[in-house]
Amino acid sequence: MRIGFPRALYYFDHFPFWAGFFHRLGIEVVTSPATHRQIMEQGLKKASDETCLPLKLLAGHIQALKDVDWIFLPRIVSVEADTYTCPKFLGIPESLLPAVPPGMPVLTVTLNWRKGKRQVLKDLEVLGAQLSQDKADIRKAFNEGLEWQQRYQDTMGAGWNFEESIREIERAAKDLTESAKVPTLVTWKERMFAKMSSTALKPTAELPIVDQNRDRLRIALVGHSYLTHESYANLNLLRKLREKANVELVQNVNQEEVETNLSGLRKKLFWSHSKQIFGAGNKFAEDQSVEGIIYLTCFGCGTDSMVQELVSRRAREQHKPYMVITLDEHSGEAGLVTRLEAFLDMVERRRVHEGYVSTYGECLDRDSNAL
Amino acid sequence: MKVTFPHMGNAWIVIQTLFESLNVEVVVPPFNSKRTLNLGTKLSPESACLPLKLNLGNYLEAANAGADTIVITGGIGPCRFGYYGEVERQILRDAGYNYEVVTLEPPDGSLAGLAKRIRFLAGRKNSWAKILKAMRFAYLKSVALDRVEDLIHAARPRLPHPLHTEKLYESAKQRLAQTMTEKGVQDTVRWVQETIQERQEGLNSMAEGINKPLRIGIVGEIYTILDPFSSVGIEEELGRLGVEVDRSIYLSGWVGSHIFRGIAPGYRSIRSYPRHAKPFLPHFVGGHGLETVGATVKFAREGYDGIIQVFPLSCMPEIVAASVLPKVQETYKIPIMTLIVDEHTGHAGIQTRLEAYVDLLERPRLLRESIQTREGVLGVGG
Repeated sequence: MRIGFPRALYYFDHFPFWAGFFHRLGIEVVTSPATHRQIMEQGLKKASDETCLPLKLLAGHIQALKDVDWIFLPRIVSVEADTYTCPKFLGIPESLLPAVPPGMPVLTVTLNWRKGKRQVLKDLEVLGAQLSQDKADIRKAFNEGLEWQQRYQDTMGAGWNFEESIREIERAAKDLTESAKVPTLVTWKERMFAKMSSTALKPTAELPIVDQNRDRLRIALVGHSYLTHESYANLNLLRKLREKANVELVQNVNQEEVETNLSGLRKKLFWSHSKQIFGAGNKFAEDQSVEGIIYLTCFGCGTDSMVQELVSRRAREQHKPYMVITLDEHSGEAGLVTRLEAFLDMVERRRVHEGYVSTYGECLDRDSNAL
Repeated sequence: MKVTFPHMGNAWIVIQTLFESLNVEVVVPPFNSKRTLNLGTKLSPESACLPLKLNLGNYLEAANAGADTIVITGGIGPCRFGYYGEVERQILRDAGYNYEVVTLEPPDGSLAGLAKRIRFLAGRKNSWAKILKAMRFAYLKSVALDRVEDLIHAARPRLPHPLHTEKLYESAKQRLAQTMTEKGVQDTVRWVQETIQERQEGLNSMAEGINKPLRIGIVGEIYTILDPFSSVGIEEELGRLGVEVDRSIYLSGWVGSHIFRGIAPGYRSIRSYPRHAKPFLPHFVGGHGLETVGATVKFAREGYDGIIQVFPLSCMPEIVAASVLPKVQETYKIPIMTLIVDEHTGHAGIQTRLEAYVDLLERPRLLRESIQTREGVLGVGG
């Protein structure tokens, strides 16, 4: 049996779990190809006009799934206690049914971690019954999924490369012969140890090692995972940025750090992604070594309309260069490149002239994001 | 302490009553206007939804009248409205307004915290019994208001002079706002009823007023359907075009489910909507998305001629509902129109669309003798 998993939206956060889950059940998971022009166009045709870019892309990816027995569209209500995902996640799969090719069965499950692990397992058992799997197998598959997800989560942090990690997971998911094997991912700690030991082995006596990375700018990119890592939709922003600067991502900030950086809010944020974005954004704003923050959002994003406001306030308080990039299906590359270059130039110039800014100039700039 | 609150249609009457019966000084902000919206838009994040912009405008205008405390309800999402209180507080603080913002909700689920906030607003002098009594009276008033509104909905297409009907509505609202006794509330409702009856009896020919008007159900995001300013007076406009409207959510229905947690059902209970929505959308999606779908199904089953969905640009729950509604349209063969409003919405544009829509609905009636059927209408509507 082959299950189609669209490479959009929750793919970027939760694919490892589902890959592990279905792998254990001996079901092959087929992902749609990386986004290309045709996928986007197909998505625009079938999705509702008012919805946001990520959902339109999801509609495209659903149509791009070929030769599968089911299309898997889970309703992910919540991924941790006390939070929700975006309301548009809650409307899946119903809101995307027009995009499903006629005759193709849709497999769905409601996942609500607010109600606790027991409820999640119960809902997964209902899914299992549809796939004629018994409860014990589902339980094992669930644990396997969690293990894969944890493994994937551990790779985040310094030097994380999304594409590499996810490719490894996809490879493991495809390979059904090697039963029950966790993908061989290098966690970021291991990476660090490897790096440290290699530098320790080097002869240090003669020349001091010049750290090439020291002079590079450090820029933080915050935003939803399905935008920052969707390289077609964001016009390769991440790669372009990495060419010129060291990039910090929301995913590099671990859960505990996010929690400690939620201060200053009288009410808890109740969207899991937004919590992460705000926590990370707040940390980057206060971190003196981060020289600029770019907030990547898409047109019509409801949660971002609130959180972007909060993050921008933090950046302004800390006098940190801050830029918002809003994506939609009409985004042009030239415009993006110009803005990016201008932003990086500004950050770089600021580094050089920092000491010479007159108080007069500072007052002029008091209400803008420029300084 | 001078308390103020954001406008939402007739809600001001209820909130004013609540605070005045507790002897708390309350500032009713000037009614929503172009000025309100302009003031609010300047401070708001550009992609925030329309209600936030109007709220901020209300606060700025209320500040001129000396208000220093804001009361707003909350919620834990996933609709954006749940986070309004905190975002508005930060925006106002940075804009130099020294407002205290009190969000009426259990903070982190603690009822004691909610009680503390109510106590803060009501002051020390009021006993809990008095607070509960005031809440009950305010609730009764909201039910009466909804009753009056519903009567006006029915009267608009049936009475000959639109202006007289609007005047009746305005004076009924005034009376309700002023009365502080239960008898006064009941009397006002009866007065409206009797006045409408009298006027209808005075009609002698069929030419004046319509006996069997078209019926259109209005569904969508609660703020835009309750607040005539944000939806550019869509109900009044439709009434003038000879259409009887009904709405998915009334103020007391919302108060009953949102604030009293379903202890009181309100004028038109929203409880049955999830059941109606089930075949099309089996899960809640925040805000009133599920209710929109449920109400659409209910109206369609009750034989309404058309449905209009109204919501502010980028409203998340309603976008989900909007992408499900075509299926309802197909199943029940009922034309559904979607109107999206924001600060750039113009009156003429909405009016044109409403006229075209009503024309579309009237066609099958006029062509009933010929072979034309509803399916034909749908072909036109797409």
